[in-house]
Amino acid sequence: MKILGRKYLLLNILLIICLFLIGGCKPEHRFVKKTAFKDTNKIVIEFAGPVDETWAKNRSNYTACEKPDPDIRLKIIDVSLSADKKKATLVFADDLNKNQPHVVTATKISSEGKSLGTAILNVKKFYLGYLFSILIGAMIINNFVFTKYLGLCVFFGVSQKKSTAVGMGITFTLVIVASAMMSWFIYQFVLQPYRLDFLQIVVFIGLVSLSVQAVDTILRKVNPLLFKAFGVYLVLVIANCIIIAVPLILADNEYNAWESLMLSLGAGLGFLIALFLMSSVRERLELANVPPTYRGLPIAFVLAGLFALSFLGFSGMSIF
Amino acid sequence: MDPILIKMALGGLAVLGCIGLFFGIGLALAAHKFAVEANPKVEEVLEILSGAQ
Repeated sequence: MKILGRKYLLLNILLIICLFLIGGCKPEHRFVKKTAFKDTNKIVIEFAGPVDETWAKNRSNYTACEKPDPDIRLKIIDVSLSADKKKATLVFADDLNKNQPHVVTATKISSEGKSLGTAILNVKKFYLGYLFSILIGAMIINNFVFTKYLGLCVFFGVSQKKSTAVGMGITFTLVIVASAMMSWFIYQFVLQPYRLDFLQIVVFIGLVSLSVQAVDTILRKVNPLLFKAFGVYLVLVIANCIIIAVPLILADNEYNAWESLMLSLGAGLGFLIALFLMSSVRERLELANVPPTYRGLPIAFVLAGLFALSFLGFSGMSIF
Repeated sequence: MDPILIKMALGGLAVLGCIGLFFGIGLALAAHKFAVEANPKVEEVLEILSGAQ
């Protein structure tokens, strides 16, 4: 038993190290190594090799905007190049809103006389608070059930009893984290390099059913008690639309590994919260004197509407 | 048709085929490794029962 425990610990540590490695390297363009904010009004682009000075110093080669507003171009007043010609610093006229990801386009990168094509770069602030805000955002502020109305069939199906609701929520969280990380990996390292992004829905659905099947097979042997507790819900997870929405959002926003982990975890926990709230109210509803026409599903829909209204109170909130 | 498109389509077929094969073999191995030995009598008894419900 002790040896088995150590084995699992080692495996976990290995997985976390892998995540660190993958999280660090997300190639945006094969010639751009890194992008980052600097000071209040600067963006630094680090190239893999030396670029031509005439190209790099030309302001009209760069355009920049905030990701949600691609129409509003930010004014670049100066570009400076470091001594080894690998680092270009864009200086903007106004201070940048670092809470928003920025999109910088560098047209026709030229290095030693060769043109290396156009790079579209995402510049993001990377720190723990940002990750935390993604987690809380997916969990409460943009709760998938109450503000986006996704996954309602499973939501109404299993929210009758507290015990089943919590079981389903935990199963769902496990499966969504596994499948979202896999979809992220396949999207970043297979679909995008081979320009197969248009097949993303097909691939993601396959990956979701794969992870459900894998969890089913492994759990049946490793922990039959837990498997029995999950029961039919494990298969029901496939029929949930949140589980396909999350990989699509990840692909759309070009999230990196940590952001993907946080978003999927937030989506899963948000679903768990929604199920728990709904089931505790529906358990009390059994004792209430509901008019016969409203009994069962109709009153549940009314309840879900009220929950959605109260969750609307969180909208527009931002942490940090 | 544009040869680039044909290349992309064939490349996509190959890549997705490889992914499918890889995960398929992975699942098969997992199913083999984590096989649960079921009592064959359960199946037999279920067969004999009327099975309307």
